[in-house]
Amino acid sequence: MKHQKLYAALTIVITLVVTAFFLKEIRHNARMETDLDEYMPKTHPAFLYSDQAEEWFNIKDGILIALENKNGIYNPQTLQKIKDISKALQDMPQFEDNDVTSLYTADNITGSEYGLEVNSFYKRVPKSEEKLEELRVNVRGNDMAYGRVVSEDETVALVVAGMTDSLFTDTFYQEILSFANEYEGDGDKIYVAGRPIVEGTMGKLGPKDMKKMVPIVILVITLVLFLLLRSTRATITTLFTVFISTIWAFGLMAALGVPIFAVSTMIPVMLIAIGVAYGIYFYNHLKQYYRDKPETNSWNAVKHVLKVLWKPLMMAAFTTMIGFVSLITSQVFPIKYFGLFTAFGISIAFALTLIFIPATIVLFGYKARHGKINEDDKGYTKINHFTDRMLSNKKVIYITVAVLIVVSIFGTSKVWINSSFLSNFEKDSEIVLTDKFVNSKFGGTSTLNVVLESEESGVFKQPKTLELIDKMQAETVQLAKVGNSFSLADYLKRMNKVMNADDDAYYRIPESNEMVAQYLLLYEMSGDPENLAKVVNYDYNRTNITFQLKGDDSRTINEALTVIQKYEDQFSEQGIEMNYAGSGYKALVFTGLILDGQIKSIILSLLIVLALLSVMFRSFKAGLIGSLPIIITALISFGVMGLFNIPLSTTTALLSSIAIGIGIDYAIHFMQHYRTNIANMEHRHDAIHFTMKQTGKAILYNAIVVIAGFMVLLFSVFPPNRTLGALVSLNMFTSLAGTLTVMMILVYGAKLFMKKKLKK
Amino acid sequence: MKRVITILAVLLIASQGFAQLSGDEIMNKVYNLPTGNDQQGQLTMTLINKSGEQRVRKLQQYIKLYNGDEKKVMFFLAPADVRGTSFMNWSYADGRDDDQWIYLPALKRTKRISSDSKSESFMGSDFTYDDLGDRHPSEDTHKLLREETIDGKACYVVESTPKDDTYAYSKIISWIIKDNFMGAKREFYDEDGDLLKTLTVIKYDKIDGFWTILQTEMKNVQKNHKTEMKFENIQFNQGISDNKFTERGMTLGS
Repeated sequence: MKHQKLYAALTIVITLVVTAFFLKEIRHNARMETDLDEYMPKTHPAFLYSDQAEEWFNIKDGILIALENKNGIYNPQTLQKIKDISKALQDMPQFEDNDVTSLYTADNITGSEYGLEVNSFYKRVPKSEEKLEELRVNVRGNDMAYGRVVSEDETVALVVAGMTDSLFTDTFYQEILSFANEYEGDGDKIYVAGRPIVEGTMGKLGPKDMKKMVPIVILVITLVLFLLLRSTRATITTLFTVFISTIWAFGLMAALGVPIFAVSTMIPVMLIAIGVAYGIYFYNHLKQYYRDKPETNSWNAVKHVLKVLWKPLMMAAFTTMIGFVSLITSQVFPIKYFGLFTAFGISIAFALTLIFIPATIVLFGYKARHGKINEDDKGYTKINHFTDRMLSNKKVIYITVAVLIVVSIFGTSKVWINSSFLSNFEKDSEIVLTDKFVNSKFGGTSTLNVVLESEESGVFKQPKTLELIDKMQAETVQLAKVGNSFSLADYLKRMNKVMNADDDAYYRIPESNEMVAQYLLLYEMSGDPENLAKVVNYDYNRTNITFQLKGDDSRTINEALTVIQKYEDQFSEQGIEMNYAGSGYKALVFTGLILDGQIKSIILSLLIVLALLSVMFRSFKAGLIGSLPIIITALISFGVMGLFNIPLSTTTALLSSIAIGIGIDYAIHFMQHYRTNIANMEHRHDAIHFTMKQTGKAILYNAIVVIAGFMVLLFSVFPPNRTLGALVSLNMFTSLAGTLTVMMILVYGAKLFMKKKLKK
Repeated sequence: MKRVITILAVLLIASQGFAQLSGDEIMNKVYNLPTGNDQQGQLTMTLINKSGEQRVRKLQQYIKLYNGDEKKVMFFLAPADVRGTSFMNWSYADGRDDDQWIYLPALKRTKRISSDSKSESFMGSDFTYDDLGDRHPSEDTHKLLREETIDGKACYVVESTPKDDTYAYSKIISWIIKDNFMGAKREFYDEDGDLLKTLTVIKYDKIDGFWTILQTEMKNVQKNHKTEMKFENIQFNQGISDNKFTERGMTLGS
């Protein structure tokens, strides 16, 4: 016993030393990666093109600062603020002068007795009534400003500052908010919106909320675990293995220089759900052994449990790891890492269960408190009744499962991907209301860029091409969610009108190529040529059309794309290729990639699991039956999302991995113990009852602990965290129910593992 | 011995006298270089953006002096879709804003274009009207910084600071060739004192007895954009008709 204690102590010390090393790594080398661009696969053609186009046309995400004055913005004070904000933004190192668009910086293209004039709407703030009225008339008469930098009801003015994503930092987010809010007061209300702000708020709110919720989650898990295991030591040790495996996983990431991405926060979620189960299995078997042989010593008890448990535990851990490793087929790097390091964490949780937990038991002993449950166990328990009821109502179960599967498939067909950031916030949160407000007054807070390109230079000086662009813009803007659009065509229409005595009949594309070319030359001579560079290149064979959208969700973008794509063929006839750019579009493609990868990975891991189970249990039928809980869990998970209108996003898509991880564990433990039991017992009826009582209970405990813990997240203030909590709980519950009902019935009904017996 | 000292003294005084040319004097000499009464020739202007794309324009230009006022008219030869477009600029010695006209053949109309300031871009290029050379030395204070040899030519390096502190540049540093008072290089600094643009004279020659710039390049180092100008077939004092410099003259082509 002395030697054994020494080994045990050594094991614990080594574990703690390694853990300390990884903690040190995390402290010194861990690095959060919040720049979403870092998530994108750099070599994907859609991203390469978009990045290129962003560079060509200075396409940036806009921070929108809106000033509202209920009495109208045409008063010296509000106009002074517009000017001050514009100039202050231009002076910030994050912005170039021409990144800032407002009534103050906008070009007012007008015709006069002189000819074409490109001036500012105002330089000095107009003070007199006449001057203010003149400004109002000028803006009203200019479609390039009216409804774009000043709302049509003239109560809101907009200052847009284009921002390079990589320059957006936490400090800058705070800076820009407090900067903008300084201008609030004296009848002026300030609103700050735009994608960088939404991203910034999300980046802060999510982790902040998690920091608050995680301790409560852990507390609840600890409490429930204690109630079920009835041992402080067992509870602490089980949680220890989960924490240590999490620390090792993050420590290894830090040591290898892999940054922590937003999806990496799902690693502990997976490890809690799966790792807690390992401890529960162990202690359940230990308790059982102690009950059967009360006089045994801890060394023998541990030896026995290891003998019984190592095989199913290893198979379960191995298959779960395969499920996660299959995520390396994803094109998205953070997801590859997520899969790899979760698999690593699981291997550690597995190893600790076989080494660390026994060591603590040998060293500190184990005291099982036998309460009332013990008394029940001897008689015919609730579990026995449940098992009988299930077995005698097979048909009801089959029909229920069939109905659930059909409903889920229907639900799955309604699942939609959402790349929206805004949908992560409460409907009545300030950021959503601000966005709504700005959208109600202006074209839209989100943008979609359509880039047209041709081999032939000068093609975008051709009237027929420009007319097609104009037509496409006009049709797309008809959509309720598309506010307005902007292109080279808008410049030309405006110039054509002002050069023809402001006659509205000339608000159209000039009729000849020469006329277009000469207007453009004229604009270059009178205005700021850099403005043109945002819509067309030097060779006039590449142009950028900006659509403003009133939503950043995939439905809105796809709706606009459907209309736009109708013109693809017509442009193609003119030798013009159509592409898209901008962060909204990239997010859309990106989410598609994640989903695509996730579905591929689920199918791949299902096949692998099927093969592994078939090999392990030497029966294809067993493989099929064992895979059933996973399939049901995944289907219901997607079905519920479809039916309850929960869109797929980076995190929700990953949750289906839980289905695989947990589902396999349950199936393997159940079937392995059933196989052992059937070999030792007369009747398969006894075997199934015993398995249900032993493994079924362990599975139930595991599900209860994790569900109780994750239900806490339902009280989170950050909607994505609530969804996370609900879906993890749902997946745990379906895995549990699927294993203990339909799979149990099938295992029993199919007379699995009976061959040896029959031969006897 | 006495003779030697005398010679040395004379040399010393002479060299000192030469070196003592002040910044103001240098820039005045530059400004007052003879240019002839009129000048004509072809100008090829190439705008090159940061992606390396080029926009090439060919113009025929005529310039004539009227007691310090300068009238200039330019006719576009290429690209084809703007051929016949003409641009006229009158700049005044008394500092009034320039008058500018443009004639668009597609519209068959001559239009005035307004220009608020001489620091605006010339036809979308990196040159402002001022950069093209009609800024009077009295508008700046000049300081001779040092002498330096660039491309094998001895130059004065003069720093010019505008008296009007709202001017587009905070300072300009010019390299002036000692021999002929032609500019070889110029650096323009923005309002924050950072280098904004560099002008390099690539080729110059004496034509009809006048020192003339034949090729020059202006590079905006902040925007990574540049403009090349190339002059060909330059002729001086050909007695260009005053009719060229009228709104009607603009419509008649080069």
